[in-house]
Amino acid sequence: MIECLNLEVTAEQIAPDAPLYGDGLGLDSIDVLEVALVVSKRYGLQLQSGSADNPHIFKSLRSLSDHIAAQRTR
Amino acid sequence: MLMLRVMTWISLRLGRRAGRLVLHPIAGYFLLFAPASRRASSAYLRRVLARPPRWRDLYRHIFTFAATIHDRVYLINRRFDLFEFEVHGEEMLQRLLAGGKGLFLMGAHLGSFEAIRALGRKDTDFRVAMLMHEDNARKINAMLAAINPEAVQDIIGLGHIDSMLTVQQRLDQGCIVGMLADRTPGNDTLCPVRILGADANLPRGPFRMAALLRRPVAFMTGLYLGGNRYAIHFDRLADFSTVARGERDAAVELAITRYAALLDQYCREAPYNWFNFFDFWQASAAATASPT
Repeated sequence: MIECLNLEVTAEQIAPDAPLYGDGLGLDSIDVLEVALVVSKRYGLQLQSGSADNPHIFKSLRSLSDHIAAQRTR
Repeated sequence: MLMLRVMTWISLRLGRRAGRLVLHPIAGYFLLFAPASRRASSAYLRRVLARPPRWRDLYRHIFTFAATIHDRVYLINRRFDLFEFEVHGEEMLQRLLAGGKGLFLMGAHLGSFEAIRALGRKDTDFRVAMLMHEDNARKINAMLAAINPEAVQDIIGLGHIDSMLTVQQRLDQGCIVGMLADRTPGNDTLCPVRILGADANLPRGPFRMAALLRRPVAFMTGLYLGGNRYAIHFDRLADFSTVARGERDAAVELAITRYAALLDQYCREAPYNWFNFFDFWQASAAATASPT
């Protein structure tokens, strides 16, 4: 994720449970899009707009990776 | 916003010709009693006309704004018979859309974006979703519903975690996603440009998004020429379809520079169509000074 967003932090500095969006890591919705695009390319799962789960999925790095682990197709 | 409400009421009740008579006292009122807008108008006109603006220039500027808002009501009601439109660049737009992957249409607070509805008059199937701030989205939807319940647009509100996924979905359906790309929502990174011979800043967000989603981008403005005449212009801005990740930032910068050049060009062509009634140049300079 750091690689795809060119973030100025190291992987160790991202707390797995800190919020990704807004406060915390401070990603904006375009960053979220970028993450979603990379996730779909690498793990073959589509994140859908309007899904009620989205705020939960993107809550933190942990919730995102849990979701990927559960839904990945490759 | 008060102006918008007053104008809508008048247009609906009185019809275009009578409505336009009432526009004069309204424009006069705003000229006299909205000093902040007047100062901004004056500063802008000084730049674009390259001379100190006179009262009649200021009046014309405000009247042009009022006239386009007034006409919106009729455009929303599909009364295209009331107007004469000249359309430039529609074939280019058709070609870009033929790819079936949608496109971004970047407008500005310049002329009337609503004039794009006029394209639908020939049964060409343009589907447009507008991307905008959530607050504005709510207001506009309320307004549209009041004017013509069938006209409620597909509006995508910014500020949801999945706003961009919705944008992607619309594009995949072959939709045009439109937005006004000349104002910053406040937390966007800025790109320095030159407009009308002075430094200004434009938000990167809209173009970053288009680059990420690898879509073509076109510029759009509906310039009001007076009377019942509008000139609708579409211009190619960029095509991010084949831009690789490493070249993305440079391509975004290039697209924004071209967007700024088009703003410059159309401001000079139709000076009274600039509807940023605040000091656009100074405001964006201040935004660079304190990036928050």
